[in-house]
Amino acid sequence: MMPTMQVENVSRRFGNGETEVIAVKDISMTVYPGEVILIMGPSGSGKTTLLSILGGLLRPTTGRVFIEGDDLTKMDEGELPRVRLKRIGFIFQDFNLLSSLSCLDNVALISQLDGLSRKESRQRAQVLLEQLGLGHRLNFLPEKLSGGEKQRVAIARALINNPDIILADEPTANLDSHHGHETMRLLRQVAIDDNRSVIIVSHDQRIKDIADRVLWLEDGEFKNIVEMALDPVCGMSIDIEHAPAQAQVDGDSYYFCANGCRDEFLANPARFLE
Amino acid sequence: MFHLAWKNLLQNRTQFILGVGGVSLALLLMIALNALLTGSEKDLVAYIEQSGADIFVAQQGVKNMHMAASAITYQDLDQASQVEGVADASPILYTTTVMKVNEVDFLSYIIGFDPTGKLGGPKGVVAGTKNLKRGEAIIDEAVARNQEIKLGDNIQIFGRDFTVVGLTRGLTNIVNSISFITLEDFQDIRGDDAISYILISIEPGADVIAVAGAITAQNNQVTALSQADFSREERQIIRDMSVEILSMMNFSGLSIGLAVTALTLYTNTLRKRQEYGVLKAVGAQNKHLYLIVIIQAFLSLGLGFIIAMSLVWIMGLLLPIVVPGMAMALTPSDLLRVGVSSTLIGVLAALIPAWQLSKLDPAEVFRG
Repeated sequence: MMPTMQVENVSRRFGNGETEVIAVKDISMTVYPGEVILIMGPSGSGKTTLLSILGGLLRPTTGRVFIEGDDLTKMDEGELPRVRLKRIGFIFQDFNLLSSLSCLDNVALISQLDGLSRKESRQRAQVLLEQLGLGHRLNFLPEKLSGGEKQRVAIARALINNPDIILADEPTANLDSHHGHETMRLLRQVAIDDNRSVIIVSHDQRIKDIADRVLWLEDGEFKNIVEMALDPVCGMSIDIEHAPAQAQVDGDSYYFCANGCRDEFLANPARFLE
Repeated sequence: MFHLAWKNLLQNRTQFILGVGGVSLALLLMIALNALLTGSEKDLVAYIEQSGADIFVAQQGVKNMHMAASAITYQDLDQASQVEGVADASPILYTTTVMKVNEVDFLSYIIGFDPTGKLGGPKGVVAGTKNLKRGEAIIDEAVARNQEIKLGDNIQIFGRDFTVVGLTRGLTNIVNSISFITLEDFQDIRGDDAISYILISIEPGADVIAVAGAITAQNNQVTALSQADFSREERQIIRDMSVEILSMMNFSGLSIGLAVTALTLYTNTLRKRQEYGVLKAVGAQNKHLYLIVIIQAFLSLGLGFIIAMSLVWIMGLLLPIVVPGMAMALTPSDLLRVGVSSTLIGVLAALIPAWQLSKLDPAEVFRG
């Protein structure tokens, strides 16, 4: 399977001499379609710098970033906005909706930037917002929405141009537990339903449940990589390395939270794999 | 982009109203004085254009009436009347003097004409008669209304009493008013038989330029101009006299308009810096953001322009009622000039915000 994104030995330095800071050190990673990757780490670990590099907003000092084979680091400043518009969807911590526009127009605008007419853009945005349960909020200004609703509008905005990659910066930071969970469920669904890659930067431990892989960034480097899998029986997220139980069916590996789930799965795998 | 630009502009209504109001007043400053002068020009040449003359003959080198002195003779009149194509030639006497009405001084153009002649008198009267006799005068109704003069009342011209027997309309302007007395009275007061101008009508089918040329060619003591040229020269005098004031007002208006628009756009862009950063991050190019600023600039200016024009229109309606003799008029070239100025203001005012946006780092949105 062709990776959606490939990061090769990326480093980013700020300043020079005694004031030099290496924010990201020799990072490599590969992201596949349908994958949800969670990048965690303490403040100042380089998460934001890495996310900016992955989104084509910041150039690495060394290394290369490929999106479906196209080298972002080789593109000039005129090409990058187009890549961000068409191939990457952004979700921000503070939602960052345009305060003067309605929900519908916030989403439709991104499609208009891509060349669609206002009418077509609004039609497309309306469908998306209705799918996300915001059909009754189309003409509301962002200030009239709850945090969860704002984040759903932001997700719709990220999806409107049908990008392959979604980059989310602390998407649950300003949400309560209920809305945070709802947002993560949506992001998971976005990855599975449309085979998109979702890369999330967060401090939120609760998000680990929905990630396929958790990467720990510290001092600009990945310290250890925790690969996650979903228990096909109960749906719980499992740390592959420390999975309590596992099984092989038709050459594929499955991981379980307990032997009970594994036994139930092995009794009739087809029931859980449909 | 238009929708976003409009919504952003409208979001802070106080700032929007102040911005558009400031632009309106700046443009008004540019338009109003010009409209006033254009209106005055129209009034100042009203006598020339209403006279019915096809050609005006003056002393050699004299090409207008305002602030001019022309002295020609009856011999010149005879010579002009014999030129081929001339149907009628009527003399007038003309000077600027102070007319006393109810002990109030009015600067006035006094025209002495022959009531039995075809040309030189008022085109028509709105009250009384235009068939003057000696000792009688026709004045404009704006002066009469202002001083509550009625037909039969006396006024003083050249220190002599004249009885008002007729009232004209549209012959009072920002500078003065036109009054008529008989040619005989005028000559009597002046004490010579010189005349100021000859008003000529031409025969049907004759070419006015050719006839005027022939009059000038056969008498080097006079200058003959078509009514249109004579009127244009008169207007040009007014233009020349007011060009410095106009330039100053235009410069002031342009500067104020530029400052207000630039400040409005600058603060608007500064306030929306984070949101423009988001737009850049998600894929908007600089050209999209420039477009927003430019649309905002031209929306402010467009609205300001419409409001300024509406104010000029309202002033144009009210002014002649409040101040007799004052009028406002706009010409297509005035509109073009203000339109070009507005465009210039828009482009200049958009430069700094556009530069701000071009320097905006989209990665800032991830740094909060």
